[in-house]
Amino acid sequence: MRGATILKANEDKTRQLNKHTLMAYVGEAGDTIQFAEYIQANIQLYSMRNSTDLTPSETSSFVRTELARSLRSRSPYTVNLLLGGFDPRTSKPELYWIDYLASCAPVPYAAHGYAQYYCLSILDKHHHPDISLEQGMKILRMCTDELKRRLPIDFKGVVVKVVDGEGIREVEYEDGGQVLAP
Amino acid sequence: MADRYSFSLTTFSPSGKLVQIEYALNAVNQGVTSLGIKAANGIVLATEKKSSTSLIDASSSSKISLITPNIGMVYAGMGPDYRVLVDKARKVSHTGYKRVYNEYPPTRILVQDVARVMQEATQSGGVRPYGVSLLIAGWDDGVLPEQERKEAEAEMGDDDEAKEKQVKSGGKTGGILKGGPSLYQVDPSGSYFPWKATAIGKSATSAKTFLEKRYTEGLELEDAVHIALLTLKETIEGEMNGDTVEIGIVGPPADHLLGYEGVEGARGPRFRKLSPQEIEDYLTNL
Amino acid sequence: MVGKDCVAIACDLRLGLQALTVSNNFPKIFSYGSQVHLGLTGLATDVSSVSELFRYKVNMYRLREERDISPQTFANLVSSSLYERRFGPWFVSPVVAGINQTDGKPFICGFDSIGCIDFAKDFIVSGTASDQLFGTCEGLWEPNLGPEDLFETISQALLNAVDRDALSGWGAHVYIIEKDKVTKRLLKGRQD
Repeated sequence: MRGATILKANEDKTRQLNKHTLMAYVGEAGDTIQFAEYIQANIQLYSMRNSTDLTPSETSSFVRTELARSLRSRSPYTVNLLLGGFDPRTSKPELYWIDYLASCAPVPYAAHGYAQYYCLSILDKHHHPDISLEQGMKILRMCTDELKRRLPIDFKGVVVKVVDGEGIREVEYEDGGQVLAP
Repeated sequence: MADRYSFSLTTFSPSGKLVQIEYALNAVNQGVTSLGIKAANGIVLATEKKSSTSLIDASSSSKISLITPNIGMVYAGMGPDYRVLVDKARKVSHTGYKRVYNEYPPTRILVQDVARVMQEATQSGGVRPYGVSLLIAGWDDGVLPEQERKEAEAEMGDDDEAKEKQVKSGGKTGGILKGGPSLYQVDPSGSYFPWKATAIGKSATSAKTFLEKRYTEGLELEDAVHIALLTLKETIEGEMNGDTVEIGIVGPPADHLLGYEGVEGARGPRFRKLSPQEIEDYLTNL
Repeated sequence: MVGKDCVAIACDLRLGLQALTVSNNFPKIFSYGSQVHLGLTGLATDVSSVSELFRYKVNMYRLREERDISPQTFANLVSSSLYERRFGPWFVSPVVAGINQTDGKPFICGFDSIGCIDFAKDFIVSGTASDQLFGTCEGLWEPNLGPEDLFETISQALLNAVDRDALSGWGAHVYIIEKDKVTKRLLKGRQD
């Protein structure tokens, strides 16, 4: 988006950091990609130097520290992040919510921006700690439907990626159907 | 330009020695003898105050210095280098400790800081090592050695608990500060050693032999001052009196040096220098 | 909160952006060594940064001095570290609680964001619910409480205060610190 104009409708706003960690970002146009690629490059560099990947919690700590350093610099990055990862040591999936102030919290589900106001209440109601991927996708559908229904702007659909023990893969997500407010 | 081309003067000789440091030690070994003795309840530092002519005003120069209220220092070697180190020690005890923790550094921490200053002079460009060895004496608050011994004995009663406590407070990063007196020597290389009693300077070897004969465990401070003067007597070249001998002691808090009284919990400095009159008194009883 | 030969420190678990709750698992109490605890309220990012900063400083202290830091020394370290940032402060209001291992006496104190120490012999409060906490603590606290009574007192004081604050709550952590024992308890609290 540039002002009121949509410039691109299918931009992938995620970066893969290593085999099992994915970072999604939103925020100020230039900052987002600059910061995401800086993080991506450093996490990859770590993997190359040490022949081992950082776990999601280690990654979240690194990202937070970098963002906190940036926050008190002359020109801070305005980037909000979600960090999803699968820890191969504990065999558990993890999600971290990080905002541009470098607040970081491990959470079961999260959103940034206006979407929070619509999605979090749905997730509060339907999410359980032990749901399957299919059930998760169902809740995600409820969320995107709600966004289409309530959000005054057309956000041109979503990119859906799944992070699990096998790694990261993009999944098809049917976005066509029109959702009407009741 | 000067800083870009200032190489270290201290470089290894092919045999693996740093001759500059050995030269610095030679300077120390030509210096006036100083000695320190640790007692059960304090420490004494003593040195001879030599002056080449009787016209010197001896009362206005001094070789033993207070660093913090509980830590004092004496040297053998080059006087000017010593004064620089005294300044740096006093400064670092504030910037590196009191201004951070609002308390004075324990003796070992101060010794390490001073030793670092001296070590850096052996590795930096454009400088020479300090031509002094130091004796640093200090008292630390905390668990005193005898107190600790008593507690350990009391706990031997029920074995399991004692063992458990040992595990808990064991390890280098746990536990609390061991208090009481401690005496360290710091050399131009930056190495330091804790001593029960030692001497540095010209007659260090003979003084140490003398101290080995006279030193006993559990010495009282008064006896330590006595032994210090006896040792000094063996090595001193001129006359011995209150003006030619300098003594500093670490002992009980000297509340009369506080400058005020009536404040609860206020403690005077443990380190103080003996006045010429006090020294004369010790000398007459020798 | 100070008791007889014990101290307690407690925090809620909410992390939020104004009225929006982001997480309900964000502890604000951190342990430094065996007995010294630090509570941090304020800007979440600074809570993390400052807790990590003191973890670094206290670990360095422990390696250098080969002993644990005392609560008093730690309080002065917190004060000087915060004042170092006098003109660009960390936006946190810390609370220190611990027992001095040398004399076995409890110690608590609080700070403003630039390190002015507030010593107290009863209790210290901090955060969005501090007004409410002043009320509940003033009403419930009494001198010389034992560990169990102190736990009950601090828990009730905290839970009832955060229930009257929209920006706090979602469970709590309570630490009861005794000379050679620390007990941590999790309180569920109201989840709304």
